[in-house]
Amino acid sequence: MSSNAISMEPASFNHRKGLPIAAVLAILSAGFFVVIALATGESAQLSLQGIVGLLQRMVALGLVAIGQTFVILVGSIDLSVAALISAVAVLASLLMQGDPAMILPAIIACLGLCLAVGLVNGALVAYGGINPLIATLGTGLIIQGVLAASFADLQGAVARQFQVLAYGGMLGIPYSVLLLALLALAAAFILNKTLFGARIYAVGGNPDGARLAGIHTERLVLAAHVIASLFAGAAGLYLAARLQSGTPWIGRDGIYDLESIAVTVIGGTILAGGKGGVAGTLAGVLLFASLDASFNMLGIDAFLKQVLRGGIVIAAVAIHAVRYKGHVA
Amino acid sequence: MTIIPALHMAGISKTFPGVRALDCVDFDCRTGEVHAICGENGAGKSTLMKILGGSYRPDAGEIRLNGRLVHLTHPRQAADAGISIIHQELSLLPYRTVAENIFMGRELARFGLLDRRQMNKRAAELLRRVGADIDPEGQVSTLSIAMQQLVEIAKALLLDAGILVMDEPTAALDERDAQNLLSLIRGLREEGVAIVYISHRMPEVMAVADRVTVLKDGQKIWTRARHAAPVPEIIRAMVGRDLKDFYPKRPSSGPGKVLLSVEGGANAALRDISFDVRAGEIVGVAGLEDSGKAHLAQALVGDEPLSAGVMRVNGKPVSIRSPRQATAAGIGYLPGDRKRDALALRQSVRDNALLTLRSMAGFFARPQRAALSPAAIDSELRDMDVRAADFGQEIGTLSGGNQQKAIIVRWLAQASDVLVFVEPTRGIDIAAKAAIYQTMRAFADAGRGIVVVSSDMPELIGIADRILVMHQGRIAGELPRGASEEEVMRLSLGIAQQEPREAFA
Repeated sequence: MSSNAISMEPASFNHRKGLPIAAVLAILSAGFFVVIALATGESAQLSLQGIVGLLQRMVALGLVAIGQTFVILVGSIDLSVAALISAVAVLASLLMQGDPAMILPAIIACLGLCLAVGLVNGALVAYGGINPLIATLGTGLIIQGVLAASFADLQGAVARQFQVLAYGGMLGIPYSVLLLALLALAAAFILNKTLFGARIYAVGGNPDGARLAGIHTERLVLAAHVIASLFAGAAGLYLAARLQSGTPWIGRDGIYDLESIAVTVIGGTILAGGKGGVAGTLAGVLLFASLDASFNMLGIDAFLKQVLRGGIVIAAVAIHAVRYKGHVA
Repeated sequence: MTIIPALHMAGISKTFPGVRALDCVDFDCRTGEVHAICGENGAGKSTLMKILGGSYRPDAGEIRLNGRLVHLTHPRQAADAGISIIHQELSLLPYRTVAENIFMGRELARFGLLDRRQMNKRAAELLRRVGADIDPEGQVSTLSIAMQQLVEIAKALLLDAGILVMDEPTAALDERDAQNLLSLIRGLREEGVAIVYISHRMPEVMAVADRVTVLKDGQKIWTRARHAAPVPEIIRAMVGRDLKDFYPKRPSSGPGKVLLSVEGGANAALRDISFDVRAGEIVGVAGLEDSGKAHLAQALVGDEPLSAGVMRVNGKPVSIRSPRQATAAGIGYLPGDRKRDALALRQSVRDNALLTLRSMAGFFARPQRAALSPAAIDSELRDMDVRAADFGQEIGTLSGGNQQKAIIVRWLAQASDVLVFVEPTRGIDIAAKAAIYQTMRAFADAGRGIVVVSSDMPELIGIADRILVMHQGRIAGELPRGASEEEVMRLSLGIAQQEPREAFA
């Protein structure tokens, strides 16, 4: 047998040298904000204060969306986050009743609730085999129903000291923005640098392949749901601090469930799972925040704002679809 | 025998609803041995290996590794026990790097932190070992299928397993990569790995196997040393079975005018497809799972349209880009996966039989009149002897044979000229099979034509007037009536093509 020396062509990778999606999106969003600020003469928006204000708009949605990114990466989805945010905000103000001594117990209780909801969601999806849309819609409805039945009005208020989370800061940067930055970095670190992160991508990218590679896929789906719930809890606590007391409708009115999914997908995380990351999600949140701020500067009314946002979501996802196709072909 | 084999599976049985996939199969593989498993599609090879891999649990039987009894309930356990499996279906992550894929589930990490440098380095070594020049940091989705296959093989080598199972590892590889792989296998054998090698490709089995086991219909036919198992013997064991005489008689008259012809047809899965179907004729299409035979059926009915070539119906060139155009041109389709592609399981027998008529009817057609009326379709269903308590009952409650008959009625009602059957009797009992063959023959005798794609060789030989055998997307040859299974198998395996003594590579 003559195996002649084979001159293999080097496998050609078309590493796209362009900027990553997250950077492109962030630059576009920031650019849009700057242009509108200049065009409307609201140059105060471009001061440090204005920019901090823009970043602060990102906090609540940003926290939820980071959690949502984990579940979407494993190929699941979480529609219960909006209701959970409301529940946490209500629970926090109910337990604190303005008493600073109750801050820590209230936070622990809230995160405990989130842990429980996350475990239920994860168990239903991973072990019960229930479609995540239905499972989390169901838990969300249950939470919302219990809230609506039990708490008609505002119940109590969070402690003054707790509101520092929303209104305090250091070096001119609000604690809330620092919290978002810290948690985002932690999430990105987990996804990119750790064993756990690698397996999250494996489970979402090819569930059967991951199973055959010996990964306990159910555990990872469960863990992702717990993470999403805990991040929703953080958002709920932040909102309670900002509004002083939680109402049963905070989460629903903010449309945090659907918007967190929207920004995650805009950021390049694919709904099927296995591709994407936190940086893209945050860029998506920045896009929404700068759109909101810009629409305010332009004095566009609330309904038209929704229409424009909807159009932008569709356009962003369509651009991904085109890019993806071009990439594969 | 004093040698304790590295792997010993004894009395393995596995039943799926309606199918006895494995029936008390014994199998063993020694260290430093390549043991090939041969068998037709559905013979039970993959099921046996899925049991070994911990994906399926056997109903009966035991597995011993080096004499030690093991119970494998999760792929993780199989891997920990030193069993590494290269699966037939690719199980890669398209958006992750090659190295991340190779280390999937076994990532190198310290305190939970990934050690990417080390992983890339080890991955590069493994890739070199399988003879693949692939950048470990490249994304898998940018690789060709053959390259991805090599990544799968590198992934399996990572485990340093004592037992390595390769399920059709060369399916996507070209000659050169396949040769590389075979020399890699010889090297692993030298190192004392027990290798189970599953392949349709006889030349490879002959080149690399020490022993050969033939499975058929879930049973082991025999295990022999390679020198005691010449290719014709293997093929005979793979196909040999009792032929029941329930195929209808063929008409004595020759076929009529050409109903359907394809010239130079090609698409992503097919090349150089030319053939015709005449009135009164049943044309069989044989081939292995990856031969493109299913793609041919889908091309004829516009599900995966041809991108080149000419198709003619009744002599007129037609462009068929969608199933609707195929239906309008008089071509009907009976898919192989009835439940998924042919039936609305929760709708009535009547609704299912009316499906095509209704979908082709004008928008303003009145749903209860003429051919669309329940009475008209009921009489057709009765003529076909579809057995249901009431044609209003859900079709999902009927037997496979009756479901298939209802689908035939669907196309008879549409008055199609050519029917494309895929696996016409898969999962259908013997009695209903005979009835379906009768119906097919009657359809052809009425001056119409049938293309039947099947993996069931006795069926093709029994029902078809001639058989086109496909191999790697082409028609490798045509066999007349009365061809033997050996002849069909030889063409399917691509052996006959090698006969013109071309220089070897």
